[in-house]
Amino acid sequence: MEFIHLIVASLILTGAGLIAIPFLPARARASIGFFFVLVNAVLSSIPAFQVLGGNPLHFVLEGSPFFGPIPVQLDALSAWFILIVNFTCVNGALYGIGYMKAYAEQRPSLALHWAMFVLFHASMIWVCILQHGLAFLVAWEIMTISSLLLILFEYRKPETLQAGLNYLVQMHIGVVFLSAAFIWSYLEGGSFGFDAIGHFFEENRNAWLFLLFFVGFGIKAGFIPLHSWLPHAHPAAPSHVSGVMSGVIVKMGIYGMLRVALMLENDLILIGASLLALSIATGVYGILNAAVHRDFKKMLAYCTIENVGMIGAGIGLFLLGKGTDHMALALIGLSAALLHTLNHSLYKSLLFFAAGSVYQQTHTRNMEKLGGLIRHMPQTAFFFLAGALAIGGLPPFNGFVSEFLLYTGFIAGLKTSSFYLSTLMMLSLGALAIIGGLSLLTFTKNFGIIFLGSPRTPLPKGLSEAPFIMRLPQFAIVGAMLSIGLFPGFFLSLVKRVSNSFLHVGEADAIALAGLDTSMSAIGLYSLVFLALIAAVFFIRKRSMAKAEQTFSSTWGCGYVAPKPGMQYTGKSFSKALGKLFGFIISEKKNYTEIQPGEVFPKERAHSSHYADFFENTAIDKGTKHLLSGMNFFQFIQNGRVQYYVLYGVVFILLVFLATVFNLI
Amino acid sequence: MLSLVLILLASLFFTGIIIRAKSLVSGRKGPGIFQPMKDVIRLWKKGSVFSRTTSFIFQIAPSVYFASVLMAILVVPFGKAPGLISFQGDFVFFAYVLALGKFFSIISALDTGSSFEGMGASREALFSMLVEPAFFIMMGSFAMLTGQSSFHDIFISLHFGSQISYALGVLATFLLIMIAMIENSRMPVDDPKTHLELTMVHEVMILDNSGFDLGLILYATNLKFAMYGALIANFFVGALPLAWAVLVFFAVQVVFAMLAGLLESFSARFRMNHNAEFIYTLTSLSLLIFFGVLLLMGKFI
Repeated sequence: MEFIHLIVASLILTGAGLIAIPFLPARARASIGFFFVLVNAVLSSIPAFQVLGGNPLHFVLEGSPFFGPIPVQLDALSAWFILIVNFTCVNGALYGIGYMKAYAEQRPSLALHWAMFVLFHASMIWVCILQHGLAFLVAWEIMTISSLLLILFEYRKPETLQAGLNYLVQMHIGVVFLSAAFIWSYLEGGSFGFDAIGHFFEENRNAWLFLLFFVGFGIKAGFIPLHSWLPHAHPAAPSHVSGVMSGVIVKMGIYGMLRVALMLENDLILIGASLLALSIATGVYGILNAAVHRDFKKMLAYCTIENVGMIGAGIGLFLLGKGTDHMALALIGLSAALLHTLNHSLYKSLLFFAAGSVYQQTHTRNMEKLGGLIRHMPQTAFFFLAGALAIGGLPPFNGFVSEFLLYTGFIAGLKTSSFYLSTLMMLSLGALAIIGGLSLLTFTKNFGIIFLGSPRTPLPKGLSEAPFIMRLPQFAIVGAMLSIGLFPGFFLSLVKRVSNSFLHVGEADAIALAGLDTSMSAIGLYSLVFLALIAAVFFIRKRSMAKAEQTFSSTWGCGYVAPKPGMQYTGKSFSKALGKLFGFIISEKKNYTEIQPGEVFPKERAHSSHYADFFENTAIDKGTKHLLSGMNFFQFIQNGRVQYYVLYGVVFILLVFLATVFNLI
Repeated sequence: MLSLVLILLASLFFTGIIIRAKSLVSGRKGPGIFQPMKDVIRLWKKGSVFSRTTSFIFQIAPSVYFASVLMAILVVPFGKAPGLISFQGDFVFFAYVLALGKFFSIISALDTGSSFEGMGASREALFSMLVEPAFFIMMGSFAMLTGQSSFHDIFISLHFGSQISYALGVLATFLLIMIAMIENSRMPVDDPKTHLELTMVHEVMILDNSGFDLGLILYATNLKFAMYGALIANFFVGALPLAWAVLVFFAVQVVFAMLAGLLESFSARFRMNHNAEFIYTLTSLSLLIFFGVLLLMGKFI
């Protein structure tokens, strides 16, 4: 079958799914929804695999007179992202079958939910292949709206509704920037095709247009200070949706940015250095916030921001390498960005799925109420642990591979560039180490507080392991993560194939890169050796412990004999010292009233504290407040009288008429 | 291979020398230098007590921790001989393998459900986070200076010539000693001999470990000390002939251990909230190394 047939087939299927799902019996909706996602994924993965090994496929759709011809192209970059989208969405849908069983009585919402899931998945594939500004925006908008409806599943909760509105508004601010960028390139190049952007970059200064694109895509991706929708939307959505959103929808922003970045022609060093600096700041900011929050889904959302920062750092390295004509650096940067995109989509969806299983069983997202879950949900605990190790970039999991690539990139960048660039690279290297250390703190805290120790509040009765259908996709993801961690050479070669189709690597650089291949195979091998060594030590321990006596007793309480679960260290206290140290970024807000001097018998009082988002608190909220008070002056326009509204219409028509008469428009 | 054998040898007496130095300074004779090792062996033969709160994490964590230190040692080179593991960027692997061990030791402390151990875990996580950038910036600077990116290549191509480079060597040695003291939870930040759980860092994390596991953890500390000692020795060994190199290696280890003992005898632990400040000053020291390297390479305009 031709590429076009597959795409048309997937289009028809999506339409069929949209119509069919609401009419199906309620019990079958979830599995039929999964079926449509699976078939769509298979249909789009076939050409994607072909393209990854060979030449790009493209054809031109006959558009309407308004759109003009719409070029559709499947190149290596699209293929890479499509494969990531497919893997995550299929896993998400499979997990969703089990997760949504608890909501079986909300039948109309479920119909909409599954129809939107199918559309959401398909729209992301279209975003990856459409090469025409307007058509791209249409697909982009379908993706946004369908994901909004997915977030709003529990629309009766006010905070969900609020998070949804926040998401909707912010995404459309992004669309404004994107539209402006596409229109600008249309005005210069006369077409909405992506090659017009390329022409624009060849002939004009790049920085400004890129800035427009960056803001548009950066809101989706979650770069600071454009990130503030993420920590609201992710906790509000059902867990399989948060997993997919964090795993791939954020990556669509990255895709857009990469697509534009690959076409850049000048201003490379300026753009690259700014992007690198901003990305590193994003990474540190994201993980710092993740470390202090007690809502574990919010923590994961902040962690997504951190990882977006690392991907952005890869793109920044790529641009700097291209700008300084150091192709090996460019290749390492691009490969690191692409591989980290894959890695993050894997472990983040795994972590969200595991968190979702915990939420489903305990009905709370507050880790301070949990503890000791490893006894009741050992497999979920294992999944969370695997995800935590991977996201911390620890061997033998996949996170280490892409972080290693970033480190290699920074070290390579140190050697060749100027004073300013070397300093930037060195600071980024140090910051990456801080990010690594902070994610160690964050995830030991989360895993330790949620799964270890004893329950801090009584856990609900009948707590059990998540059903098999929810565990199955998580096994698949752990398998994928281990395979990347243990055979990084193979995955690097895949990523390099994608990167190479956009870069021309010379002889000298190829030699420099050969060392990277040996390092990669060394990492895979030594990760295996490491696992074997752990097993060997454990085996020796088991052998020698069999001889001696083992007894079980209560935890050592330093002489105190009546310990209570409430005395355990809490998540808050675990990260308190960090919170104080970085109090200038992560500000703690406390709600309580002091005991007054005259108050002889103080009444019962409550104390609560939470950490506020720096940017949301200072810039965004204050800005919105000023905007609102400014807008109040124009309130007389919207006065609720129909007569006035008719008058506005008449005035507008008159204006248009006059403007046409005097040839103004 | 050579480095592995040498580090294993040095680990047998390293802590012994620290204890001996401290005893001598305080006017006692003190135990023999192999006493800590004998204690470890005794622990390996003993039975264990486990808390009922703990899960399998607590069972595997000490093994993972020990294996991570062993694995990191395999990366350390010795003079002209590379470590068993050597590839470009191996110092990243070195740091992250150690981090994995730390991850497990922290969660095993949380596994006991004790508030004291949670406290230690929190401190350990914070301090090791703060020390991380110092190590990376230092190694990054030397990578930049030598144009190499593996431990072995960096160390053999380091040449001390000008005054700046000597200053760099001194700074790097100081930094490595400090990193070693922090990673092993010794004096300026933590006092292993304290009796109050509230003021401990590392000791309080392992309150519930006993028997074989405790032996593993204690021996891992000895190994870690010897490992950092070996890294420091590498600065001085350079391209010396083998016999001299081995001699210098042991001399460095002994001097390092005695220094640690003296430091512990004549200084008190920082207040807990000053620890963080002290540790991130180390990062500025490593930045000094970086600027020194920039000077050497003539990159300042």
